[in-house]
Amino acid sequence: MKTKIHWLGLLFLVFSTSFLFAQQKTVTGTVTDSGGLPLPGVNVILKGTNTGTQTNFDGNYDIIAETGQVLIFSYLGQKTIERTIGNSTIIDLQMKDDTEALEEVVVQGYRTATKATSSIAISTVTAETITNRPNANAIQTLSGQVPGLNITASSGQPGAPPRVNLRGVGSINGNTDPLFIIDGAPVDANAFRSLGNNDIASISVLKDAGATAIYGNRGANGVVIIKTRQGGYNQKLQINYSGVTEFSSLQDIQDYDLLNSQEQLRLERDQTTGLGNGLTDAEIAQFSTTDWADVFFRTAAIQQHTVSLSSGSKNFTQYTSLQFRDQPAILLNSRLTRFNFRNNLTGKSNNDKFNFSSNIAIGYSQNDEPNNIGGAGINRNLVLGAFQSLPYLDPADLGTGAEIFAAGNFFPNTPFLLLDLVNTFERREDELQILGNFDASYEIWNGLRANVRLSGEYRQQILNQTEFPNSFNALIFAGPQDPPGFQIQDYEGQFLYNQVTSLTYNKSFGKHTVDGGAYIEYFRGFFSDFGFNADGLVPALAAPGDGSAFVPDNPDNDLFVDTINANRLTSGLFSYFFQGDYDYDRRFGITGTVRRDASFRFSESNRFGTFGSVAARWNISEEEWFGDSFVNSLKLRGSWGVTGNQFISNTAPRGINFDAPDLTRDLFVTNPGLGGQNALFLNQIGNNTLQWETTEEINIGADFTLFNNRLRGSVDFYDRTTSDLFLAAPISPINVQEVQININDEFPTLSTNSGEIKNSGVDVSLTYDLVRSKDLNLSVNLVGNYNKQEIIDLPTDTGEIINPGGIGSIGLQERGLINEYFLVRYAGVNPENGNLLFLDADGNETENPDVDTDRVFLGTNLSPDYQGSFGFDLNYKGLFLSTQWNYAIGIDRLDNDLAGFSDPTNIGTFRATGDLLRAWTPENTNTDVPSLTASNIALDGNSDRFLQSADFLRLRFATAGYDLPSQYLQGTGLNKIRVFVQGENLLTFTPWRGFDPETVNTFNPGQSRLFPTPKVFSVGLEVGF
Amino acid sequence: MKNIFKLIILIGSFGVITSCNDAIDIVQPGRLGAENAFQNFADLESGLLGTLATIDNTTQMQFNSIFTDEVGIGDNNGGQGLTDGTYGFVLNAGSNAPLGLWLKFYSTLNSANRLIEAIELVDVEPGEQARENEILGEVLAIRAYTHFQILTYFSPDYTDDDALAGFLVDFVPTVDQQLDRATNGEFFSLIESDLSRARSLITTQRDPQGISLDFISFLQIKINVYRENYGQVDTMAASLLADYPLANRDEYEDVFFDIGDTEVIFKLLRVINGPYDRQGATGNAFATGWAGANWAFVDATINGAPYFDIGRALFNMIDPADIRYNVLVGETSIISPDPAAESDFINNDVLLLSKYEGKPGQPLLNDLKIFRSSELVFFRAEAAAANNNLSGVATFLKELRDVRFGTDTPLPSFSTAEEAFGAILDERRIEFAFEGYRWVDLKRLGERGNRGILRSNLDCVVNNACSLPATDFRFTLPIPLNELNFNPDVRQNPGY
Repeated sequence: MKTKIHWLGLLFLVFSTSFLFAQQKTVTGTVTDSGGLPLPGVNVILKGTNTGTQTNFDGNYDIIAETGQVLIFSYLGQKTIERTIGNSTIIDLQMKDDTEALEEVVVQGYRTATKATSSIAISTVTAETITNRPNANAIQTLSGQVPGLNITASSGQPGAPPRVNLRGVGSINGNTDPLFIIDGAPVDANAFRSLGNNDIASISVLKDAGATAIYGNRGANGVVIIKTRQGGYNQKLQINYSGVTEFSSLQDIQDYDLLNSQEQLRLERDQTTGLGNGLTDAEIAQFSTTDWADVFFRTAAIQQHTVSLSSGSKNFTQYTSLQFRDQPAILLNSRLTRFNFRNNLTGKSNNDKFNFSSNIAIGYSQNDEPNNIGGAGINRNLVLGAFQSLPYLDPADLGTGAEIFAAGNFFPNTPFLLLDLVNTFERREDELQILGNFDASYEIWNGLRANVRLSGEYRQQILNQTEFPNSFNALIFAGPQDPPGFQIQDYEGQFLYNQVTSLTYNKSFGKHTVDGGAYIEYFRGFFSDFGFNADGLVPALAAPGDGSAFVPDNPDNDLFVDTINANRLTSGLFSYFFQGDYDYDRRFGITGTVRRDASFRFSESNRFGTFGSVAARWNISEEEWFGDSFVNSLKLRGSWGVTGNQFISNTAPRGINFDAPDLTRDLFVTNPGLGGQNALFLNQIGNNTLQWETTEEINIGADFTLFNNRLRGSVDFYDRTTSDLFLAAPISPINVQEVQININDEFPTLSTNSGEIKNSGVDVSLTYDLVRSKDLNLSVNLVGNYNKQEIIDLPTDTGEIINPGGIGSIGLQERGLINEYFLVRYAGVNPENGNLLFLDADGNETENPDVDTDRVFLGTNLSPDYQGSFGFDLNYKGLFLSTQWNYAIGIDRLDNDLAGFSDPTNIGTFRATGDLLRAWTPENTNTDVPSLTASNIALDGNSDRFLQSADFLRLRFATAGYDLPSQYLQGTGLNKIRVFVQGENLLTFTPWRGFDPETVNTFNPGQSRLFPTPKVFSVGLEVGF
Repeated sequence: MKNIFKLIILIGSFGVITSCNDAIDIVQPGRLGAENAFQNFADLESGLLGTLATIDNTTQMQFNSIFTDEVGIGDNNGGQGLTDGTYGFVLNAGSNAPLGLWLKFYSTLNSANRLIEAIELVDVEPGEQARENEILGEVLAIRAYTHFQILTYFSPDYTDDDALAGFLVDFVPTVDQQLDRATNGEFFSLIESDLSRARSLITTQRDPQGISLDFISFLQIKINVYRENYGQVDTMAASLLADYPLANRDEYEDVFFDIGDTEVIFKLLRVINGPYDRQGATGNAFATGWAGANWAFVDATINGAPYFDIGRALFNMIDPADIRYNVLVGETSIISPDPAAESDFINNDVLLLSKYEGKPGQPLLNDLKIFRSSELVFFRAEAAAANNNLSGVATFLKELRDVRFGTDTPLPSFSTAEEAFGAILDERRIEFAFEGYRWVDLKRLGERGNRGILRSNLDCVVNNACSLPATDFRFTLPIPLNELNFNPDVRQNPGY
């Protein structure tokens, strides 16, 4: 009501002032774009003053001014227009496209260029397709949106970092994540769990060497540059609120035909094992069927609220945002609760010579994260309970931990062990992340600027894990320890500091424009962790994170001696580099980079590497002879460059900056020896020739707009060759080190630089406007990538490495794929006796293949050949609807969930698939399922029997909503109301029989019992005022 | 303003240039470089403790029992031994047992050879020279023992000096080395020279928890027996046996409770909070933790989640009056009076293994007895059988049984050497049950005694894997895939 009066008052004022005084008046008008559509967000400034405003959603503005003053209308990609105020109080205006600025500024690492003058391969995703997405991890939402960017979910745990590979897998053992840069600060993939997704203004993916070489020491696998939102100069305070409620649930797509209670019990009776053994039909009929997936998974309701405030004066802007997200996951005991704060400031001097910006983001999250997912622990992996529990058990029969323990017979009681775990085990990580950076730049002289960029990331995680003393697991591992129970606490903190100082020069001389710079980059990282594992918790006092329940050591025994741990690591990089860019008449351009990089990892071997790139372009459509045609713009690009990688380890539990810090050294450690005394062990055999892994990349591409700008797109052909690969080369077990602790992890390998791989392929991105009008706009889009992997060279004499990393199902061979399946071929069932048939190396059928010599390379692996997305965007009078279908072709996975359901030795212990009902019997000889007593059944573990295609087509994302037209908002004080619904993973078509074709452990393609990504449906509201 | 800013840049750049090396020349805290690992006498002592700690026997125990006829499927079996086929006689280059053993043996050799190299380089005080000699002697004996273990598991025929064993490693290997297998003859010659050097350096006569002169004597007798060089065996065994008389019934129990060392010549100490105080890889030949966790998840009682139990065939051979019954069979076992009639044999006939009950404070954690003097009696019996002295065999077996029963037992009689060898094998089956002997014994004596793996029919219902003759190729382990992957030209054993 108050606002309405204000409006009326203003109208009155307009009339009275214009009538009475004539000099001070309110000027109003509508600004449209070159197509005649209203243009919101145009800056309208009174020349020579601090006064200004912006056009609203309908392109309207109003501003108080005097006759004779000059209004400046400016908008990115449009020519800036000045109008002198005359007698009229209405100034309507049509903006004109600024051909010099086109519509976009393109991020180029340490500089920016316009789209036309950019020589590099880059894809940009704007806020619209990220904001409010029902996903806690912003990187996950990029899936399918960028050609060549393959994103693989590792877990349905909220915020879990996905595997990100750009243009194929660029290394075998080295880390293949692209470099992530948030507002200039380099971070790793783990930084996104604590990052608010609504602060992101744009994400640009730098793809070719021409683009990434400027990040030469960390950019070999691509660079993802995230810009967060900023306020605009001369912008009034804009407050936005958005609230989203999401509902996530298990994707109901598994197709294992799992047995119900009656089928399961009859199968057990037939096999004379388990509960069904000896039951009558009548007794079997009594049982009801429990779907344990419904017990361990749930429909989770998620809340997210975001408030942002942005504003700016003549020399200063600010953007502030707050976000709260509470996301219980579909798996019991899994949850992410997160609070984010961000404050972005920019400022400049009156003469524009000095400018600065600073960003600070604080994220605090609590992650309830069940561990041992993917493992075989029947008392540990909740997902195992959901998938494999016997259907005839009833959750209502759950007893206490002590009762379960006393009952014995643990395997058939798996779901009870795990339900007890749900109730008596708590594991939480509190994470605090502070990300800050400061940029400043000063123009020393006519185009010559001195710049400094400082950025820091502090991240701490505190793990609290409590096994309550009444739990089954505490009892089972207690032995004589009374009270039982365990508590683990672990603090882990890391601080990363990055500093770039530079001198840059940018100047145009007629048709010539030069842009160059000299840079020094300095990076340090500091890591520490410490913690303890306390044995024994007094039941009355046991509480997570609290030590009141701890039991002290006593003179009688060592049962309550706690274990402690502490670790400290540091890392560092130092680089200097130069880059130059030259443009001639906006027709030709060339860009080059050279850099020298040193890494702490090679301080004792080959510390410095030299990297660089050259990129060039030809804007054909700018040539005078080109004339008018259906081609509106056309640019050809080409680049060549070499970049380096020093992230040796791809698993990186401590973050990529700290793992494998000194593999050049031979190391010993002290550990408990024979009688528990401190003893000396060999721990690491070093390689004193380690050096940078280098990637050489050639890229040829074109950017184009056709048919009156209706068709927009780009095509890129690339060829990436990575040599001096970080490779855990097999060495003879005669070199094996201290093995008694974890023999499973101790397959003897040596970190070497050896071998060469190649990824070549094509990226395509196309958008076509089917309908373009004032009320209705419809466009369709396609993102695609084809990638071909090839191993060029391996260090072994045979040109093969079998079971790299100790993973039994895969191998490497020259001319083959990375981690190609290397297995004995399964050939079906022998109708004579129900045994399994395999093919030997020569293709002859055999029941007893040699697990060594009959394995063959199968020509498939986990990486897709084709992947991308397609969809449409529809807009009709404020109504909008868009869809994104993701597809991937050429993925093969070992379905060890199916192997478990099909294993006859699991009958009586775990749930079986209906496939077993058609198993071979002397009466049923023509079948694809071996006899349940086949004597060679154990050999299928080395075969491709359960290797399945995991290709998919999936409705990855869909959204529909309505923007309330502004005429309805007049007088409300609001300038934006949007309501929307969204969904993720709504529909999937796949030959994969499991719970989710996308959730996979890329390091171990056979791992099963994983936490699948959910299906999500959300509703939201956005309000601006 | 302008000048101040220039100054800041100048200082900033200077700061960066002077501090660039601190970003690269980083030595991580808490690292012990190999060049500093062995500096003095104390380090050599630590190194010896480390080398000793690399010796494990749980893989041998696991494989010898699961692959043969020592176990049956326990009531808490979730596929252990079945899924990977060990219980079904599936044994190939990809199996866990050959890999686990290969890795363990060579880790011990790698550790021992580095220590030997360090001993040569480290200068010790004059007063420490004697102890340094002792350390060197002990490491040499460990090296000999480990080579003998490699030969035991990977050589097809102990009596053939031309048969292939494994890699002979008496040096610190380099990472690019692709070795070839040495012959038994070469192995025995290194073992003998290591042992004779060790004998000249060691002064400790007996030490059940460490390497002693008696350890060397026992190993030498054992090697002769394996090579079937029975000439000196009886004399040597009798002489050593005189120093280690057989344990009486109480002492025998104490040995397995880890409170006595009677008749123990060498054992591997396993202590709470020591490196092996963990569950280890259950159901897997990697094992490497609590010994008893090879058969039960939690403890050796009926509530301890046994996933293997004592095989019915073995159980039927053990007389409850025998003290070894008390040690082997758990008190809370469910013993079916008529197992063949049980509809649910697995749950109604649970024969718990209690040899590795654990020590106070930690169920399933026990010292691993490697050399016990009772084996000397068997060596004497074997030598007698080889000389066709059948009554001698009977006397030796009776001698042992009398002690184990605590009373006079009937004197057995044999009409052929084959019968005598068969009886030796049967008695060994009880005496050394679950201590990692059965598969090796069958390999060595099975053909001579007409014995093979023979499970009770009740125990092989699950997979029909009931018997395997001792002449089968699977009584030699394959060279593991891991070695072949790196070293494809290595000669594999026959049958694989």
